[in-house]
Amino acid sequence: MKAEDSEAAAQPRPDSAPLLIATGIEKAFDRTRALAGAELDVYPGEVMGLLGANGAGKSTLSKVISGHLTRDAGSITLRDRPLNLRSAREAIGYGITMVMQETSLAPDLSVLENVFLAELGRPGILFYRRLKRRAEEILDRLGQKETLPLDREVRLLSAAQRQLVEIAKALALNSTLIIFDEPTASLSPPEVERLFQVMTTLKRSGHTLVFVSHRLEEVFAITDRVTVMREGRTVAKSLETASLRQAELIRLMVGQEMKEVLPIGPNRTARPSQTAVFEVRNLGSAPVVRDVSFKVHRGEILGLGGLVGAGRSETVEALFGLRPRQRGELYLGGKQYAPRRAADAIRAGIGFVAEDRRVQGIVPDFSVRENLLLGHMAASRKFGLGYSQRKAKLDDLIQKLGLPAERLDTNILNFSGGMQQKIIIARWLLLEPSLLILDEPTKGVDIGTRTSIYAMLRQVAGTGVGVIVISSDFEELLSLCERVVVMSDGASIADVPSEMLNEEKLTLFAAPRTSMEQNSAILRDIARDLNGAAFWTLVDQGRLFCLYTSVINDQADPGFRAGDTPMIGDTRIPAALSSRSEALVLERENQLATLLVSVRSDRGHDMGWIGVTLDSRTSLAPAQQLRDRIESFLGRIIKPQ
Amino acid sequence: MKTNGINSTNAQRSLVSDLVGQLEIRMLALALALGAALSILSPHFLTSNNLLNVLDQSVVVGIVAIGMTFVILIGGIDLSVGSVAGLTGVLLGRGLEHLTIPFAIVLAVLAGMTIGLFSGFLIAHFGLPSFVVTLGVMAIGRSLAYIFSGATAIADLPENFGNIVYTNIFGIPAHVLTLLMLYAMAWAYLNFTKGGRTVYAIGSNREAARTAGLNVLGFSILPYVISGGLSAVAITFASAQVMSIDPLAGTGLELDAIAAVVIGGASLYGGRGSIIGTLIGVLIMVMIRNGLNLLNVSPFWQGSAIGAVIITAVLIERLLSSRAFSR
Repeated sequence: MKAEDSEAAAQPRPDSAPLLIATGIEKAFDRTRALAGAELDVYPGEVMGLLGANGAGKSTLSKVISGHLTRDAGSITLRDRPLNLRSAREAIGYGITMVMQETSLAPDLSVLENVFLAELGRPGILFYRRLKRRAEEILDRLGQKETLPLDREVRLLSAAQRQLVEIAKALALNSTLIIFDEPTASLSPPEVERLFQVMTTLKRSGHTLVFVSHRLEEVFAITDRVTVMREGRTVAKSLETASLRQAELIRLMVGQEMKEVLPIGPNRTARPSQTAVFEVRNLGSAPVVRDVSFKVHRGEILGLGGLVGAGRSETVEALFGLRPRQRGELYLGGKQYAPRRAADAIRAGIGFVAEDRRVQGIVPDFSVRENLLLGHMAASRKFGLGYSQRKAKLDDLIQKLGLPAERLDTNILNFSGGMQQKIIIARWLLLEPSLLILDEPTKGVDIGTRTSIYAMLRQVAGTGVGVIVISSDFEELLSLCERVVVMSDGASIADVPSEMLNEEKLTLFAAPRTSMEQNSAILRDIARDLNGAAFWTLVDQGRLFCLYTSVINDQADPGFRAGDTPMIGDTRIPAALSSRSEALVLERENQLATLLVSVRSDRGHDMGWIGVTLDSRTSLAPAQQLRDRIESFLGRIIKPQ
Repeated sequence: MKTNGINSTNAQRSLVSDLVGQLEIRMLALALALGAALSILSPHFLTSNNLLNVLDQSVVVGIVAIGMTFVILIGGIDLSVGSVAGLTGVLLGRGLEHLTIPFAIVLAVLAGMTIGLFSGFLIAHFGLPSFVVTLGVMAIGRSLAYIFSGATAIADLPENFGNIVYTNIFGIPAHVLTLLMLYAMAWAYLNFTKGGRTVYAIGSNREAARTAGLNVLGFSILPYVISGGLSAVAITFASAQVMSIDPLAGTGLELDAIAAVVIGGASLYGGRGSIIGTLIGVLIMVMIRNGLNLLNVSPFWQGSAIGAVIITAVLIERLLSSRAFSR
């Protein structure tokens, strides 16, 4: 077997002795063996990736090492001394902390109090001023002094900020070994970036980190070495990340050769029909959703992209009747549609898989059958259950899911997260909807199940259903969806075929407008200063991706607006855009003169062009002078990561 | 084949654990054990007269406990049942002065349902804690009971009013039959109707029920309406048993009802529990009282005994279920 080859292969031995060695760890929960011979070596000062599919035992192993669980068998040594922990408290004493998947913070206490939560448990008086100084020092060390107001209550923080609090808490306890359990699960790409910066800072200051994840890209981005787990066992120990290839890791994780994992690629050969299943016009739903418009066609998978907090979940909840709407019209199958409650939406033929499976999806005390039939219950107007009328469809569905019929009446909690998610999706398929909405359908789902969910959605779309997918995973969005509607600060700002996008462009589009308000203001200042129009756009293969525009002088309208993606030829300034020269370019067709200035990120990435268009009939300054004027403004521009 | 062997042992194991996992069966075993113990301790326990006595004493708590089961299944609590019973009893008494018996009873039940609707609306629509709302209603109910009764018992009830208890149908007293019928109806409703399953779904995961489009608001109010209505039904039988209506009637009924539901295995967090379990819980409680009386134990010890049973039942339940369901 190939997997074994690589197990035997390179096992690097660094010079120093390992900080922690775990061997032969076993742990069973009642009938389920979560760990059956797990191993992990961690060397001081490294970032160790602990990789595995869902249910591989990564979290359990982490919890055993950090004292949250006691092991049934096996041994752990810390600095060559045996370590037998009975509680997480004891682990903290040894400098081991775990930053949990679901943060273990007290929501009503302030950031400061949470950072020093352990101190609150000690007898004596608290000296807030001293604690505050220490907290500031810790955040300063992390380079995150600005991002975390110490007196803010934790429940008001974003997921990313909470995680920082957890990290600060670990540092306040003088932890040397910090285990991050799936820390990126609910973060947006820029937040992940920031987390990685923090992790790098920690590593430099001599901390040892374990990074638990099932996302390969992240493992490659941040770890020094990788340990792979599968079905409760360690299948590859301390492989050097740099020496690894993605395919190899996937094989280790799933234990079999998988032809394609992520990039199935959107179904571009079979064009979805142009009949709109569903249309939203100028939807407004206080407080987050301000102005959202888009269309979904029959058989199309439409992505709803953007950052966490852009109002995507709120938008689809409003469409599904779970939130009141103040503005806008909805059309389903060409007819006006105005749901007042979710049952209206369901009866009209919409299904909705919410973001948080545990909180919004499953009914934990119900069997698989009853969970499957929950949508039917909402749609039915009968007094009785009427389960029998769905029997044929139900049998068909569970067969497609690969769910043994005899397990239909067992509790849903006996199934893996991935299967639970498929059951929730099937809950709506049972009703044969015309529109299916999924909010982060692969969150916390392992790589194998992810692929099968993609296949499932593709197949559903193939039957003519319109599918809307929200995802913060841009790679997923681009590979799954035919078209992406980008949202930012509660408004839809771009509607682009995904083949024209890549992750960078999507990130630029998705940048929150509020924090980018300054950029709009700068463009406005430039446009006003020169009495013309100013814009910031990307140009790719003859097409624009316009991020901002400000048109002060209508005579100088370049012919596109923020969020537009026209071909160069369709704008009013084709000559300037196609030459992209240093000079001031005059259009032949009209009286417009345009000057473009290239923008680069701090890392040297191409960030497109900032341009001004002027009415050439007015007296024009020389190009260099204009350029200097523009660049004098650009110092203030904010560039997304 | 090795895999088959594993499967079949798993199947056997799950059959046993399924049976143990069935909380009604565990509770029934407990009730039977208690009955057996009492019949050994007292020769008077296992007589048909005494068993009818046990059922007779179960009626009032039993009926209130049905409503309480609904409320607890959605994760709420109804502390007002005792004083709603008191108030609707007084209203019944006043009604009987002017109206026919059936009409007066219907009016009392409607009054109980209205009070339940009021509490339920406040709880479900405004998201107020059920504990607080029903605590308030409990105080108001008792106070109104005093006011409407003039703080004295109403004893001059029509003579045939007692018939609702003492008429025998198929040899079973009418009120016991009503009790059993109400349990049968509640059982069918909770298990085989959309509304019943919605009640469970709300208690198990309110947010998921809402997201799946179930009528969460309506079915969060309904249990309080049922509870209020059944409090009135219960006090009707209680009044007929003693042929007198006291504004103090029903005091402490909420605790007995909650105890019965909890002994019956329901989770106070909602979503878990059964109406059969509640019936067994009621019987266990009444049997303990009855048994202690037969054994000439001072009534002051009854509270201790019931309390010990509640705690033991919940403890056993926790130990068993953590073994059966832990993952």
